[in-house]
Amino acid sequence: MIRDITFGQYYPGKSVLHRMDPRMKLVLTFAMIVAVFICHNFYALALMVVFAVSAVLLSRVPLRMILKSIKPILIILAFTAVLNIFYTKGGATYFEWWKISVTEKGVNTAIFTVIRIIVLVVISSLLTYTTTPTMLTDAIERLLSPLKIFHIKVHTLAMMMTLALRFIPTLIEEIERIMNAQKARGADLESGGLIHRAKALVPIFIPLMVSSFRRAYELAFAMTCRCYTGGNGRTRMKQMKLRAADFIALLLCLAVIAGIIVLNIFFTRII
Amino acid sequence: MTYPVELRNVSFYYSAGTPIQVAALKNINLKIGRGELVGIIGHTGSGKSTLISHFNGLLRPSEGSVIIDGEDLGNDKETLRAARFKVGLCFQYPEAQLFEETVAGDIAFGPKNMKLPNDEIQSRVLKAAEFVGLRPELLDKSPFDLSGGEKRRAAIAGVMAMEPEVLVLDEPAAGLDPGGKNEILAMITEYRKRTGCTAVLVSHSMEDIANIADRVIVMNGGTIAMDGTVNEIFSRSAELKNMGLNVPEITRIFIRLRELGYDVPTDVYSVEKGAEILREIIGRRSPL
Ligand SMILES: Nc1ncnc2c1ncn2[C@@H]1O[C@H](COP(=O)(O)OP(=O)(O)OP(=O)(O)O)[C@@H](O)[C@H]1O
Ligand SMILES: [Mg+2]
Repeated sequence: MIRDITFGQYYPGKSVLHRMDPRMKLVLTFAMIVAVFICHNFYALALMVVFAVSAVLLSRVPLRMILKSIKPILIILAFTAVLNIFYTKGGATYFEWWKISVTEKGVNTAIFTVIRIIVLVVISSLLTYTTTPTMLTDAIERLLSPLKIFHIKVHTLAMMMTLALRFIPTLIEEIERIMNAQKARGADLESGGLIHRAKALVPIFIPLMVSSFRRAYELAFAMTCRCYTGGNGRTRMKQMKLRAADFIALLLCLAVIAGIIVLNIFFTRII
Repeated sequence: MTYPVELRNVSFYYSAGTPIQVAALKNINLKIGRGELVGIIGHTGSGKSTLISHFNGLLRPSEGSVIIDGEDLGNDKETLRAARFKVGLCFQYPEAQLFEETVAGDIAFGPKNMKLPNDEIQSRVLKAAEFVGLRPELLDKSPFDLSGGEKRRAAIAGVMAMEPEVLVLDEPAAGLDPGGKNEILAMITEYRKRTGCTAVLVSHSMEDIANIADRVIVMNGGTIAMDGTVNEIFSRSAELKNMGLNVPEITRIFIRLRELGYDVPTDVYSVEKGAEILREIIGRRSPL
């Protein structure tokens, strides 16, 4: 089943973070994202950076993968930095020319914001690196299950999400297979203008549709045959259980948040 | 001397450079001669489909080179495209590739891509359809209305209509009933007899290969474990067993008879031939 988990960015491993209860991971990730936003000075932010770096080390996800998740936001980072440097004014002036000036406050804000965004991205991608999409939807389902009292079909939604996630790799595989088969018959998918390319997709798209519908019917039949009737009274094979590691993680995160609040109070606010 | 298909030190990795990297082919050296009918057998996951996908450049080797008709499939687009038409590849469960409104249109897809003139395409479609035994009235139907076996034939016809120099079929008989299976195999032998093309046939089934192939290649764990004539390969039944393969049942019976001291040949691959030999022996013993 290796191919099932290559989707998303799950990075297989056995670290503490991988083995944590996904519910706790999800909640703590949210909490820490909020924590990044309440940092108001470099000391608090430094604590957050220490937290993020330790989490990365604990997860044993290679640095290369982490950098890969930062790559797509490089442009946003550059943009934010430039905007902040030139538009935030205050403190000593480092540089001035015509209408453009760079001030102490501008530079500080720029550095602060860039670090903040990087920490945000690292923390949230760590969640997806250490949790499979299926586990994540499972966790979401369980966290949202109180909504049942408002007659929201949490289970059905989660099942649809899980199935969609489950079938993305299958579809990718299917597309690959069909593309190969058509290429073997000389289909030219790479060259030509826009219209030519759109036309060239027909031999891929039609078999894909046909097989997807067939698959959906088959799956529905198979589920019905195994007495699937929705969420009511359904038990689980993989029980999620909070263990010591989860509580330790909780305490650590609380400590970091407390630390941030204290540092916020004791040092001057810069943002 | 050039070979229609030649592989030199070919290795191939799926998901190269990630923790889930799979070495699907390991240092393969292979030459397929003109006009040969080569059978490739191997346990599931041994790399058969990966191997044949290299023959027409669908997969590019991670290491080593693939030479088709004396030309190295480098990165040149034209050579690659030419290879697609020289080597006609028909994948496992090819019925999944049907898409046109009519069966005839689908068979014509390959020849159309070759930019052949219209009347040539027409005649090839008819020829291929007749060859695989699709009745003419089926040609105007939608391919999705055909039965499973008919879809398979239509898909194979789609590859045959390109009249490739090398015809490669991946498990052409998988999932068909014994009758349908024999018809497909007979069709391949007949096609080869008529066109003299080189053919490669991938199969799980020893019986199928034994009866039609000149040469057998046994794949195991991404390497070529054995390469030889049918007789050579099947005489090493113990080794085959270790690879999760088995010689045909009828052959096993004859090997066992030989072990028990009967003077019987062990190169018997079809039940008919086996029955004939046994009848003869029994006839010799007790002339009724
Ligand atoms: N797209 C892919 N991504 C990753 N690994 C793959 C992929 N396709 C095949 N593999 C792996 O490569 C190896 C060889 O696969 P291949 O499909 O060539 O086997 P095969 O001999 O054709 O098997 P079968 O008889 O079941 O068709 C297997 O271990 C398989 O899991
Ligand atoms: Mg295969």
